[in-house]
Amino acid sequence: MSVSGKLFYNWSDKDFDESLKFIDTEQLGDIPYDVTIIGAGVVGCALAYKLSMYKLRILLLDKNYDVGEATSKGNSAIVHTGFDAAVGTLESELITKASRHWPELAKKLKIPYEECGALLIAINDEQNSQLDKVYEKALNNGVTDVQQLSAEQALELEPQITKNVLRGILIPRESIADPFSTSIAYSEIALANGVDILFGVEVIGIENVDEKVKSLITNCGKKIDTRIIVNVAGLGSRKIADLYGGEPFDINPRRGQFLIFDKFSRSVINHILLPIPTEKTKGVLVIPTIFGNLIAGPSAEDFTNDDETVANTTIEQLQSLLNGASKLYPGLNEQPVIGTFSGVRCNCKQGSYWLRSNDGHRGIITVSGIRSTGFTSSPALAEFLISEMQEKLGLNLELNPAAVDSRSESSWPGWWKRPYSNNELVKESPEFGRVICYCEQISHGEIIQHLDSPLKPRTLDAIKRRTRAQMGRCQGFDCMVNVAEIISNQCNIPLKKITKRGPGSEIISTNTSQY
Amino acid sequence: MDSTKHFNVLIIGAGPAGVGAAVTLSKRGIKSIAIIERSDKIGGIPSFYKKKKGGVRTFVRWSRGGIPVFGEEYAQWLEKQLLKSKVRIELQSQVLNIDAKKKILTLVNPKEGEVNYSADAIVMACGSREETPAERGWLAGSRPVRVFFTKQLLSLLDDNHLLPMNNPLIIGSDLIGYAAAAKLKAAGASDAVIVDNCNRPKCSIFERLYFRMWSNPKYQGLKSKSIEITGNKAASGVRLNGKNIPCDGIVICGELIPNSELALIGNIKVELPSRKPVVTEDYQLSESGWFAAGNILGGFHGAEWCYFNGRRVARAVVNYLSESS
Repeated sequence: MSVSGKLFYNWSDKDFDESLKFIDTEQLGDIPYDVTIIGAGVVGCALAYKLSMYKLRILLLDKNYDVGEATSKGNSAIVHTGFDAAVGTLESELITKASRHWPELAKKLKIPYEECGALLIAINDEQNSQLDKVYEKALNNGVTDVQQLSAEQALELEPQITKNVLRGILIPRESIADPFSTSIAYSEIALANGVDILFGVEVIGIENVDEKVKSLITNCGKKIDTRIIVNVAGLGSRKIADLYGGEPFDINPRRGQFLIFDKFSRSVINHILLPIPTEKTKGVLVIPTIFGNLIAGPSAEDFTNDDETVANTTIEQLQSLLNGASKLYPGLNEQPVIGTFSGVRCNCKQGSYWLRSNDGHRGIITVSGIRSTGFTSSPALAEFLISEMQEKLGLNLELNPAAVDSRSESSWPGWWKRPYSNNELVKESPEFGRVICYCEQISHGEIIQHLDSPLKPRTLDAIKRRTRAQMGRCQGFDCMVNVAEIISNQCNIPLKKITKRGPGSEIISTNTSQY
Repeated sequence: MDSTKHFNVLIIGAGPAGVGAAVTLSKRGIKSIAIIERSDKIGGIPSFYKKKKGGVRTFVRWSRGGIPVFGEEYAQWLEKQLLKSKVRIELQSQVLNIDAKKKILTLVNPKEGEVNYSADAIVMACGSREETPAERGWLAGSRPVRVFFTKQLLSLLDDNHLLPMNNPLIIGSDLIGYAAAAKLKAAGASDAVIVDNCNRPKCSIFERLYFRMWSNPKYQGLKSKSIEITGNKAASGVRLNGKNIPCDGIVICGELIPNSELALIGNIKVELPSRKPVVTEDYQLSESGWFAAGNILGGFHGAEWCYFNGRRVARAVVNYLSESS
């Protein structure tokens, strides 16, 4: 894929690749951007991807050092049909629309995707009485392919689920996908189509907010000029909105903890197992992942927007998740847990999908309250935002005939296509036969390949999300130092300066003496 | 894919147990033996304990009244034994899959790519690793950088001459934890604080006295339900018993768990969630012709125990081969 957008990191360390360093605004050219997207989560990346089909000057920026580094990295990775969304809402409309596009989108973007289906089960009389309502709701949401199942039919589909099952609903198109590849794929194509990308850049002020061309003041002291500002900063969207004084809204991050089970558990459960949803959440689910594990979760815990422990895990919640999930699949108690994680939903007090065009000022769009469904809805939400910009912000759209909308075959992640199965490739490049992540069976060659991929990932976590090295049962016990050494050697960064997720997260404390 | 290569015995893992088995099988006249190792060196866990400046003699040769040696020295001795035998050594070879009934391993290495090996008998000497925070079940909190496993710490210290922290906090109080505290102190860090989910350290008083030669770590046992790691970007401490203990790096030590995933992949019986493979008295696994040796059996065993266990398993393999022919 030829890269025509510019990519820079605000990474001032002297050992960081000079050609990737963001030093001056001049590097971006002196014409103002038509659109600047603040926040490179799944929604920001989807928007950059969809906008890159047009002749526009676009900037995508994020304070982190990779795409999808915040809310977008911790979720259930389910591509929803929207069967249980609140009927008649924008959220429901966008999910339903997006879910039908997903199979084709995944093929184009080379995102591992599987239509595994979901099984909603009632295990007591109270739940049983609600099942008909759920079925009705699915039909009203336009998800007409749902099927009612008897207990026998449910057990036939998933023999390992609880024998207490009374009745069930099968939602055949509920799917699973790789959430990490999604933000990466969107932004790689956007970059190829000429979108500029800045990492490590935080917007701390906005000048000329009522002018046609506004100036973003950044944490690195550089001003960036742009006509339209799209605030898709997720949990940070409130802080950005304060800079231009948009309509008041509040963010109450809602934490969702998950347990990850080892791969052997995946062979016993094939469908997403759903309890009957409540007002607040969908309850504790058992979810097969595209990577071959099972996960159980999420919890739903409300936080204030400045709590630093929001992404922590807690033993009490994890235990209660296990109890909840094993009501659906009792065998889960015996399955080994290999890891845990927390996702943080960008929950807006005033309602989900908080979208405001010309928010306080012409040319500014606020997008907040995109909860866990943002992963599914991202392609449809991006299209919706573009039509808003066209209708309400006066953005002129002219298709760019040179734009591409897909990634090349070679973009499939190695863990999905297994490059070492190609003996010709190993003969040519033996490093693809040298497995360094034993648990996920990822080769040295795959790490090198990804370091050279379009977004030039340079952190351990960025490499982890792309290759899966360090994501397996040993959680980096065997390969963490090896991966760090490969980044160090390939990118000429001293090993002690390799970071987990950007400056400040160096693997070696900066004030230790030379040993 | 090349056609399957056949051996009399295949051994997975070139740590003390695997080498013990290989050498003994070779001495007992078994003709074609191959030992398959996924890393690039022989010796397993002992090889991580280097004879270097600030090095600490640990683990091996305690049991037989001998003096402690560096792990690396023991690994070199293992390598010498192995090279003297006629065992074929395949390094950097990762077993991807097994067919338990047919006794076939599918493996990949830089030399051959993906290839199948088969054998009349197969010994799993895959060793063990340290439990992850999630596996311990009482460790939660944030996910900052500078939370290491012992293996990672040793690799940074000895292979790369990098001291990752000044004020270490060690989670896990067995021999490995106390050895790590000694190693860190010898490398220039301050005395560690060691924490664990029990009142008294798991490491014996004699072992603790031995490590006093290098360091005198403070111990704090967990009285509440969990230990929480704190720190947003880098580890800044742990919260335990309602108190914050500050640090600038954490090492998660000990609590070994068997590397039995290959057995699970091949539907060989393994106890879950302990991951201990189910073995008979003569170390046979649930599928005929499959054996297990060393730390994959579970528990916490030193290098010498594993070596001698490997030799014992080799004798069981010889019996099996003579009975089945």
